[in-house]
Amino acid sequence: MGVIEINGVSKSYGQLKALSDISLEVGQGEIFGLIGPDGAGKTTLFRIMTTLMLPDAGSGSICGLDIVRDYSRIRRIIGYMPGRFSLYQDLTVKENLDYFATLFGTTVSSSYGTIREIYSQIEPFRDRRAGKLSGGMKQKLALCCALVHKPAVLFLDEPTTGVDAVSRKDFWTMLSRIRESGVSVFVSTPYMDEASMCDRLAMIRDGKIIGTGTPAGIVSGYPYRLLAVEGKRMYPMLKILRVAEGVISCFSFGNSHHLAYDPAKTGKEALLKTMHAAGFDDCSVREIVPGIEDCFMQLAGK
Amino acid sequence: MWKYLLEKEFKQFFRDPGLPRMALAFPVLMMLVFPFAVSMDIRNINLAVVDNCMSRESSLLVDKCISSGYFRLVSHGYSAEDAMRLMDDNKVDAIITIMPDFDRQTALGRGLPVGIKVNTVNGTKGSLGSQYILQCVRMYFSDRNSSAGMASAQSADISEKYYFNPGMDYKLFMIPALIVIAITMVTAFLPALNIVSEKEAGTIEQINVTPVSKTAFIVCKMIPYWAIAFFILTACLIIAWAVFGYVCRGNVLWLYLFTVLDILVMAGLGLLISNYSSNAQQAMFVIWFFAVIFMLMSGIFTPIASMPDWARFITYFNPMRYFADAMRAVFLKGSTPADVWYDVAGLGVLGTVMVTAAILSYRKSE
Repeated sequence: MGVIEINGVSKSYGQLKALSDISLEVGQGEIFGLIGPDGAGKTTLFRIMTTLMLPDAGSGSICGLDIVRDYSRIRRIIGYMPGRFSLYQDLTVKENLDYFATLFGTTVSSSYGTIREIYSQIEPFRDRRAGKLSGGMKQKLALCCALVHKPAVLFLDEPTTGVDAVSRKDFWTMLSRIRESGVSVFVSTPYMDEASMCDRLAMIRDGKIIGTGTPAGIVSGYPYRLLAVEGKRMYPMLKILRVAEGVISCFSFGNSHHLAYDPAKTGKEALLKTMHAAGFDDCSVREIVPGIEDCFMQLAGK
Repeated sequence: MWKYLLEKEFKQFFRDPGLPRMALAFPVLMMLVFPFAVSMDIRNINLAVVDNCMSRESSLLVDKCISSGYFRLVSHGYSAEDAMRLMDDNKVDAIITIMPDFDRQTALGRGLPVGIKVNTVNGTKGSLGSQYILQCVRMYFSDRNSSAGMASAQSADISEKYYFNPGMDYKLFMIPALIVIAITMVTAFLPALNIVSEKEAGTIEQINVTPVSKTAFIVCKMIPYWAIAFFILTACLIIAWAVFGYVCRGNVLWLYLFTVLDILVMAGLGLLISNYSSNAQQAMFVIWFFAVIFMLMSGIFTPIASMPDWARFITYFNPMRYFADAMRAVFLKGSTPADVWYDVAGLGVLGTVMVTAAILSYRKSE
């Protein structure tokens, strides 16, 4: 049985359907990623799972406890770190930590083992007010506060949004250490490149799960061959590529276009020829392995 | 856990750059500045005298008016037009016109040969001004008659006695009311703003996922403000005694009891406001709405009895009406809750309704 089980959960805000028929399962000691763009319904799903909101339909459980009926018991065994920094800015690092420890009926010293590794990094600033910490340190403090009562499941809503690349990497390292201590981690992110750090992930778009699996499984499920096309005048090129013979889809990915094609109808040489004919002399085409983002685009386009 | 929740609220309160100073400055200001500023004692009424008689008698009348301390003589002349022009220019609030045959008429005891004109652009000043003039004229005649040793129709002595506030001292009248305003502001509106700001900061979300019950959290949020309310009440009473020499006529405990009742109502209202506002700006606006209505319709500044029926009806839903009435009754008259049972009932009913509504809407937002 999974640590988190969600069955057919739906939620609407008036006319807007935020979540429709969401089902997923997270196993013990897993880092489960929820990946999707802004407005896909990630935070709504978090709020339902953390018992802050009731679903319109469907059911769910955390460690076997019902998310509606047993909400007060669930609150004792989960740690939640909302997307926004929501600790008391006018309390010091230590006071914040003590506060949350007390709310859960525990003390910092008794759970020191769980948070030591992260807390040791901010301990030199224990008497500084939380509002005066840097972004990375705030995040570490928030993580400590979410872990201080040794939760069985940790919910992190977009923990890396607005954090620099180095801190993001550090953060994922911290998460894998937390996972080693047996805590299941449910994390959401809008960054596709973080997907590979998860044990398993679900891709969400417009309130629907469009794919789940391990990162490798999702990538291997990609049905087409993929080419990266580079050159000058990228935008006119995109328009031509999209209507070329045998092209299934073509999306702009930073400084190249990722192009899915049908090998029976076209290929690297044929496309190059088409582009030359259209006046794009300087373009280069190479075969690539699909990434999570390619899979997301493909599944989202279905 | 309650202890720690409270400790945190007090910590935050004292760490706030403005709040502790405000809590201290508020009662002091209320007590030391406002009783003078909001006084409705009318003084310095600018007076013009049009003296067509210019006799010893007429100047005695003028002296009488000036020595009352309410008036400031601006002009003393013959011309009614000049005096009128002064009033048009807003330099004069009242004109006394003394007829040419003032001496003769008064000696004969035939009516009052005096005309009074009052500028009532400022209604209070106007009506009180004419009252004062009448009083002065009356005093003049009674003096004159007694000195002449004659009894006449005009010497019908009218004596007034003001109960509970013998000197008609407006400050004494206002002090309990100012306490009411201070306590209401602190207990209803500050906690509402505090809760809404936790909403804004998202911290309330973080608390909601902990096993702490919302009730415990909210009650702990309000307790510091209740403490401040009692602090303000005590400070105000001490200032009233030390600075003005006023002491509460009734049992001081009743003042505290009514404060507790008012807190009940106001806490409910504060929680209601915070439930329906998602940011401080919204809450602020709603608070203004209630604060202004509560104050203007409380009977603190204008007597409820002189309001039109529909307005009087509205005051029945105003907790400040009951609280102010009770505080004044206890402070000035020495009443007990049994004497002002209607205030107890009013606050009790409103409190029950508010708290119930607050709890219901609070549950719904969960």
